Amino acid sequence: MIRKPLLAMFASCLLLTSGTLFAADAAAPAAAPAATEAPAAAPAAPVTPMVPTISVDKAELANGGTIIVSGKAEPGKPVFLEVVSEHKVGGSFFDGKPNKEGKIPYKLYITKEIPAFYQIVVPASQQPVLDKFKKDGKGWSYSAALKETGAIAAYAAPGKASIDSFQASLMASIIGSRGELLPALDDKERVSRSMQIMKARYRSVGKLLAASIEQKEDGSFSAKVKIPAGSPDLKYVITAVVDKDTRSEPVTVDNKVSFPVIYMENAGTSLNIFVPFALVFAIATFGVLMGAGGGFIINPVMVMLFPIPHNIVAGTVTPTVLFSQASGIMNYSKIKFINWKVGITLGCAMLAGGFIGPALTTMITLDQFKSAFGWILFVLAALMFWQTTPGYLAKNKKEQAILKEFQKRAAEAAKAGA
Amino acid sequence: MIYMHINFWGQEFKVNLIVGCIGAFLIAVMSSMFGFGGGPFMVPLMTVALGLPMYVVVGSSLLAIFFNTLMSTTKHYAFGNFDLDLFLVMFPAAILAGFIAPKIAKKLNPLWVKRVAVAGLTILGLSLVGVF
Repeated sequence: MIRKPLLAMFASCLLLTSGTLFAADAAAPAAAPAATEAPAAAPAAPVTPMVPTISVDKAELANGGTIIVSGKAEPGKPVFLEVVSEHKVGGSFFDGKPNKEGKIPYKLYITKEIPAFYQIVVPASQQPVLDKFKKDGKGWSYSAALKETGAIAAYAAPGKASIDSFQASLMASIIGSRGELLPALDDKERVSRSMQIMKARYRSVGKLLAASIEQKEDGSFSAKVKIPAGSPDLKYVITAVVDKDTRSEPVTVDNKVSFPVIYMENAGTSLNIFVPFALVFAIATFGVLMGAGGGFIINPVMVMLFPIPHNIVAGTVTPTVLFSQASGIMNYSKIKFINWKVGITLGCAMLAGGFIGPALTTMITLDQFKSAFGWILFVLAALMFWQTTPGYLAKNKKEQAILKEFQKRAAEAAKAGA
Repeated sequence: MIYMHINFWGQEFKVNLIVGCIGAFLIAVMSSMFGFGGGPFMVPLMTVALGLPMYVVVGSSLLAIFFNTLMSTTKHYAFGNFDLDLFLVMFPAAILAGFIAPKIAKKLNPLWVKRVAVAGLTILGLSLVGVF
């Protein structure tokens, strides 16, 4: 068992030493004639690559806008811009697809530290490459796009996020946990997992990559960087990158967002608060009218309209209904209209279910969330349709009459008791 | 053992615990995962599968669901699936709706509200599964 890694180490040492030996051999004869033939050329050739310079046309934006970035880089080498919001948000990726060996890893990667806005701007000539990835639809590969455009050289900020990985299992799901915490990822894997998390969070090619850099022969370049409305507020750091080790000094741009637009920290989005307010009011009113509460419609509509992750939407809508339920229970208990025995018994079963569900929300993608929700709504629509059929209505009429009679008696009893 | 006997305003009812608990558990997993209350599923479970009359179900189902919502709220919060600002925007809107909706309800035919809901939910469902 121990022999294998030892052997590998030995082999790699051998390779390394032979590599350096070979390199030294090759360099020696090449350097000798150059020194004798053209001694004047040696100091002119740049030993260290030229560090790009960068400037922006404005230092402030008002809820998004376009920044013109210009600068100069080494001629003949493509330059990239890395645009990073200083706000951090959470993201996750669940590895539920068979790997090369045909096994499903069932691993959950989760972080709280990816940038709330992230874009790499590539040369305008790369537009066809981006269009090709856009054609791949939802299954496009971010890492392949980064490699093919060369933008991988600029990919730095998300790779710094610390990522927790969990081994999910049925048992872990039953006890409502994310699974067993795995040892920390090595740097290489962390970077590649961060790409999967970024893609799961931002989903579209156009959000993560843009092609707008025009570069002249002398190396000077200019680009339009578009920060869309609804993006995070405060600082954006822009850096020009030629390769991994050749980065310009960062410039910062301040995105000012003012009331009634506010930046929502966990949702990672700036929203005019009146929009969700009006939306929730309208939907919740209709929800109460149809007797189903608003959560069924609010959740899917929110994920369709706003770039808020589905787990944040589900986790924020849930406490909203808590209070209306509590007030309903108060009203019914006043007239002794709750059977505590059956309510608590079924409640305990629901307590167990409520322990498990939230852990599963993070494990599914937004698309799975949407389509599963679609099917839930079909079932709900069927239930509601059944409630409009004549048979149900006739039965319901009798039940409602009894209900009213009982409520009357209960109210009278409550009065008499008090 | 399987049946639980309950008393509601002097009437006796038998509740099948296995059907009730498994059904309630599954509804709770689904509703906490997707972030809704679950009432429209609990009420049919208790009336159709458990055979309880509506007047027992209205209050008691609410109590059962409350357990689920309380637990899933804490779990979602612990997992960081909660945005305070968004909550502070949505919460007053939901409360306001709770006051205004009953006033509108008196003027509407509940049967038509249900029919509109069926159509609306079907359209929303179709767009969610990607039909259009």
